[in-house]
Amino acid sequence: MNPRTRRILELVLDNLVWFMLLFVLIIFSLFVPNYFQLGIFANIIEASSVLGVMSIGLALVIITGHMDLSVESVAALSAMTVGILFCSAGIGLGIVLSPEWLMVPVSLLAAIAVGGLVGTINGVLVVKLNMSAFIITLASYIWVRGLVLAVSGGRSAQDLAPAIRWFGIQRFLGLPLTAWIAITCFVVFSFILAKTPFGRHLVMIGGNQTATFRAGIRVNRNLILAFVMAGAIAGLAGWLLAIRTSGATANLGVGLLFNAFAAVVIGGVSLKGGVGSLPGVYAGVLLLSSINTAINLMGLPPTFTQVIHGLLVLAAVLLDTLKQAIRQKLA
Amino acid sequence: MKRILLSAFGVLAMAMATLMPASAETKGTVYYLVPTLLDEFQTGSVSALEMFLGQVGYEMKTLNADNKTDAQQSQMNDVIALKPSAVILAAVDFNALKPSIEAARAAGIPVVEFDRQITSTPSDFTSVAGTIEIGHVAAEQAQKLLTEKNGSVKGKILQVLGDPGDPYTLDIQKGFEEKMKEFPEVTIISHPAMMWEASNAGTIVADNIVSNPDIDLIFNHAAHLSVAAVAALEAAGKKPGDVMMMSSNGAPVGLDLIRKGWLNVEVEQPLYAQAAAVAMFMDKVVNKQEIKAGDYDVLGLPSVVTIEEWGPNIKIPGAAIDKSNVDNPAFWGNMKPPSDTVKSVE
Repeated sequence: MNPRTRRILELVLDNLVWFMLLFVLIIFSLFVPNYFQLGIFANIIEASSVLGVMSIGLALVIITGHMDLSVESVAALSAMTVGILFCSAGIGLGIVLSPEWLMVPVSLLAAIAVGGLVGTINGVLVVKLNMSAFIITLASYIWVRGLVLAVSGGRSAQDLAPAIRWFGIQRFLGLPLTAWIAITCFVVFSFILAKTPFGRHLVMIGGNQTATFRAGIRVNRNLILAFVMAGAIAGLAGWLLAIRTSGATANLGVGLLFNAFAAVVIGGVSLKGGVGSLPGVYAGVLLLSSINTAINLMGLPPTFTQVIHGLLVLAAVLLDTLKQAIRQKLA
Repeated sequence: MKRILLSAFGVLAMAMATLMPASAETKGTVYYLVPTLLDEFQTGSVSALEMFLGQVGYEMKTLNADNKTDAQQSQMNDVIALKPSAVILAAVDFNALKPSIEAARAAGIPVVEFDRQITSTPSDFTSVAGTIEIGHVAAEQAQKLLTEKNGSVKGKILQVLGDPGDPYTLDIQKGFEEKMKEFPEVTIISHPAMMWEASNAGTIVADNIVSNPDIDLIFNHAAHLSVAAVAALEAAGKKPGDVMMMSSNGAPVGLDLIRKGWLNVEVEQPLYAQAAAVAMFMDKVVNKQEIKAGDYDVLGLPSVVTIEEWGPNIKIPGAAIDKSNVDNPAFWGNMKPPSDTVKSVE
């Protein structure tokens, strides 16, 4: 194999999910009526914002070789917290701050704090008590959703304060600000993961926790931080969710966890830890959103959505295995 | 260590004591098996049934199935072992609970169907608004709205269903579409909001409003889906009234959206009357007395009891709510429980 072919092959392997996204977008644009238009592409990016942000936190924990099943419920609790505090109808207390823009940072901080608190509980239990992340975060997935139901009494909060809702309506370059927030998160956390010692340590922990510990890196501290960040980022996703739906219902966000896992796996993050990048995860999120939108426009029976998602995850894992095999041959 | 353990048990015992209500003299305990509490109608049904049953002398306990059929089947088995005076069932799955209903009745425990009609096996009493009928009322309203806008019943409707695994939404769809079939100039685009999740409904509306800008009317199968639909329309730069919208179940959110001009019609399920009817007939159900067919007044609503193959069935009409009657306190969405107390039917 000549060096040029090798370089092209490596480029394709490194960005396989982006090529898959491009391929899918071209196919849908050609064959799905009304798909090829700016409004639809803007919708795809906008609809990806909540799932995208949630996937960042999940990916951080998975890269360390653990998992966090609680992110969906944490997002719901944060959304409900924002809803109860700043919605004016339903169970919303309708708190108004003066000046009104103050409600934006306060609601954001409340959402992130709620998420960070649950993340801290998860992290401490997993790391300090050496308990299984699967079981601990599964328990959190259940009790946090229960808490949403308990605080809301099954009722909903609507009419989010216009100052907060502004982020869902105002557009910049054709995209709502919520989508820009998600894109910014991906840029910031991609940088943290790839270019800072903390990010590199997370990848090392996922690759070989014992070796990382022997190298003098504070494994426990970094692991707890990863869980706290996953919780806080899920809180941010909840804030975006409340903005997107102008409030919160007790079942808000149900089903997001599985889509977030699908996006992370499709994006090339290894469930064994130590491998993965956030741009790939964003491509995975966009891919899922593109398919959902195509299904919405084609009027396919709804069950197809889940079948296609499932097959796509399977295809991604198979492609990943193939990718590893090709890499070994190249080495 | 011993002291810590004793303290822990002490705290646990105190917590348990606070959870156990003091038992009062009642005619008996009735279990309500609610399909989910993640829905305002169902949460409202718990408090309404509790209130009305209390007025006729029964204590009510609620078990939530979290929309899981197998969980509700297990709950039925557990409740049968407790031998309550009666079971009120709002089934997760209309057919899957048939063996459990038969087992309860074989054990001498009367079963009342609430909100969700089960016709495949007999029950002791059924109180429903009728999901197919809700679809019919919605269709009549859609015809009216389309005529007002387009001069005749023609145009494009986006129908946002609930979860496609839930027979409740499928029945509304069936009722709606069988009435709309008579109008060939009406195109209906249907999409499900998986798991009844609001943001899924928002995405469906956002996508379809771009791909089908000529949509005249959006019909959401629950009011909480309308909230997300409105958010999507707002994000697309629409104003109240630009796209007509209606939804079903009559939840408080729907009524608020009518007041704000986003929603044209909300098809109400008469929650209070449905619950009151159960309480009115509970003595007869528990004592296994005959329930006679005929007209009854339930909280001022004319209701009809018929004797069907599946047992006595009371049907209470659902109402169409719009701007002209939205503040009527009789609608459960206004969250003003009726001040009149119900009395047992003699």
